[in-house]
Amino acid sequence: MQKVFADFIHTLRQQGVPISPAETLDALKTAELLGLQGKSRLRQGLGLVLAKNEQDKQTYEHYFDEFFKFAEPASPSGSEALEDGDDLEQQNQQSSDESPSNDGASEVSSSSGQGGGESEDNEQDESSEDSATEVSASSPLGRMLQAADPAAIAMAIAKAGQQESVQNIQLFTQKPLFSYRMMNRMGNEALNQELLALDVSNELAQQRLANRLRSAQTQLQEQVKDYVEQQYLLYAEAKGQQLRETTLQKVKLTNIDNHYMQQMADLVRKAAKRLASLHSRKRKLRKRGLLDVRKTIAANAAYDGVLFHTRWKTTVVDRPKVMVICDVSGSVSRVARFLLLFVHSLQEVLPRSRSFVFSSDMGEVTDLFKENKLEDALAEIMSKWANQSTSYDKALADFSENTLKDVDQKTTVIMLGDARNNNGNGRADIWQKVYLQAGRVLWLNPEHINSWDTGDSIMASYRPYCSEVHCCNSLRDLERILGNLLKHS
Amino acid sequence: MIIKHADKIASPEVLQEAFEKRGYICSDPIATAVYLACHLQKPILVEGPPGVGKTELAKVTAEYLAAPLIRMQCYEGLDEAKALYEWKYGKQLLYTQVLKDQLGDVMRGARGLDESVERLHSFGDIFYSEQFLETRPLLQALREPDGAVLLIDEIDKSDQEFEAFLLELLSDYQVSIPEIGTVKAKSKPIVFLTSNNTRELGDALKRRCLHLHIPFPETALENQIIASQVPDMDSSLRDQLVAFVHELRQMALKKVPAISESIDWARALLLLNVDSLDEKWVRDTLSLLLKYQDDIEIVEPELRKIMGQISPK
Repeated sequence: MQKVFADFIHTLRQQGVPISPAETLDALKTAELLGLQGKSRLRQGLGLVLAKNEQDKQTYEHYFDEFFKFAEPASPSGSEALEDGDDLEQQNQQSSDESPSNDGASEVSSSSGQGGGESEDNEQDESSEDSATEVSASSPLGRMLQAADPAAIAMAIAKAGQQESVQNIQLFTQKPLFSYRMMNRMGNEALNQELLALDVSNELAQQRLANRLRSAQTQLQEQVKDYVEQQYLLYAEAKGQQLRETTLQKVKLTNIDNHYMQQMADLVRKAAKRLASLHSRKRKLRKRGLLDVRKTIAANAAYDGVLFHTRWKTTVVDRPKVMVICDVSGSVSRVARFLLLFVHSLQEVLPRSRSFVFSSDMGEVTDLFKENKLEDALAEIMSKWANQSTSYDKALADFSENTLKDVDQKTTVIMLGDARNNNGNGRADIWQKVYLQAGRVLWLNPEHINSWDTGDSIMASYRPYCSEVHCCNSLRDLERILGNLLKHS
Repeated sequence: MIIKHADKIASPEVLQEAFEKRGYICSDPIATAVYLACHLQKPILVEGPPGVGKTELAKVTAEYLAAPLIRMQCYEGLDEAKALYEWKYGKQLLYTQVLKDQLGDVMRGARGLDESVERLHSFGDIFYSEQFLETRPLLQALREPDGAVLLIDEIDKSDQEFEAFLLELLSDYQVSIPEIGTVKAKSKPIVFLTSNNTRELGDALKRRCLHLHIPFPETALENQIIASQVPDMDSSLRDQLVAFVHELRQMALKKVPAISESIDWARALLLLNVDSLDEKWVRDTLSLLLKYQDDIEIVEPELRKIMGQISPK
């Protein structure tokens, strides 16, 4: 049971439900308390222990149903057999000596009682001993197929699956391999040998047996395939997803295929949300050391002036103002979308942030982001500002005219751009003013550091006037740099 | 607590039945949660929209187990002095005064500073001791000899610091008081935490709790609840009422009516001697169900349509 539980919890973890070892133990205790009989009760109980928010609950319920599906045999006759005969063992015994029928358990139970007491070992004296119809298979798998007990077969499949550790399946191309291995594990080889032997014999009964076994074998193969498929869906899909996500995080923004854009957007949102939840807390920094005399006396008036409570001066550190300026010109068009996406998310994290975009004219888009849906806002920005040739000269002049007066010592200015200025002079003097006036100036360049100052890039002229300069061309970079920014703010 | 009530919490079904007798109709997951909480000795974190009976669940559990219900309402700025313990400053002050008077007697005849200090040490120090300890709800719950039901209401309203402070209490049922030491529970209390999800709770807290989400009930369950709370109500009117509330919950409102509101409404209709819902009555009493003028303005023009949908065929 523990193994099953561990697998189940592993599955849930891969689906993103965070389950700690302590919760796993709780789950085991819960299962012990509630028993394994009542499936719905168990489902509820485990849900209470394992899934701790609405979204996780849904995931949990879905995968609980998926995971414990294989415990019930798939064929309709099988489930019927399970229902009317709870004691599987008895049925096993009864059916083991039946005439070879693969029509399912319904027939078995109707004709039960013929050879009830005999044990399976009696099978040794097989073939042609009796009447023509009473031939038994010799290989273990053959006997099982002959018995046609769906529960036993399902058990055997699950066991073989565990032995072959199907849960390690990663790629869909591995499915046939695992099916083949599982079939072998269940004794397919011996069955094939037997089938060959039966084929050469001339007796009618043996021929008939061979036919039946063969059709049962095909059926079994289907079942195993289904099982592997199920396991693949349970274990591998999530793994593949994780793999893709981690790769996407690392890959350069410029190299991402259009196909993955949507997924990337989700990732950006995820990253921004993570930053938001980490930093959205109201932080109060107590600067102990300075006694607030006035407040202390007031607080202790009730105790006859004996100073029981001390009151200390506190400083509330509030989050800084942030101004994000994003270049959306042609040269950075591939990353601009993501940068904007992040700017938008940042605005949610830092309520006092303002966003600007430019390629030659600079415009403020704070309200645009606030009022419109993200997609609409992005589309509008791209159509309104993006199709101009880059001019940092003009953009910075605009900035100095409209916004520079709002920059103060508490302001952090972040520039996202490649500093490719079409050979203009760049107006670094304005940037110097910004630097002197602002608390901190960050420049995030999507190009690699080696390509700075090549061609028309004039990074060198801005660089002296930045507190920090980073190369930022993957989501991970972006997250790290902004995480640091928020941490120190 | 558990040994004492072993028969009362023998299975989820027993709990369900007993709660029903006390007028709290609960669904299967709720009964399972309480059952598990008793046996695993874990707190339950109850989430759900306001008015679905989160607090009520703790009350009915306390009543059923005949244990005292200790309730602590959380709010922003709640700290351990208000939740756990405080010193009785006034008494401590008096004690120091008394001590000052006594000190002369104690020190009389002491030779040199060393001996004085030694005598002072031998003098029992009770300044920080149980006698001057003012217990607050959490400590009280731990000290209850026969166990208690501790309700920490609206934990999401408290600060994150307080949440962290609760962790020790919730996992080991003990708290540390720096001046005295660790206080362990005499008998582990059953703890309910409720949350309206105004902020996301920390993972550490969630990990220590069973997580129960109480959604708005299905029509059949709600019908049962109202039947038990307002027994005099005519069943056809009840059907209408439940159907109407259910329709309202489908609409995009600021605050959809919860169970407590439907119960209030049912009582009001009973008081007004209404025997069948019609548009006029609904219009007159709508303010009982909807708490925002905006919502009322949304619903009023739709009334005829909704009434048409729920009218008995």
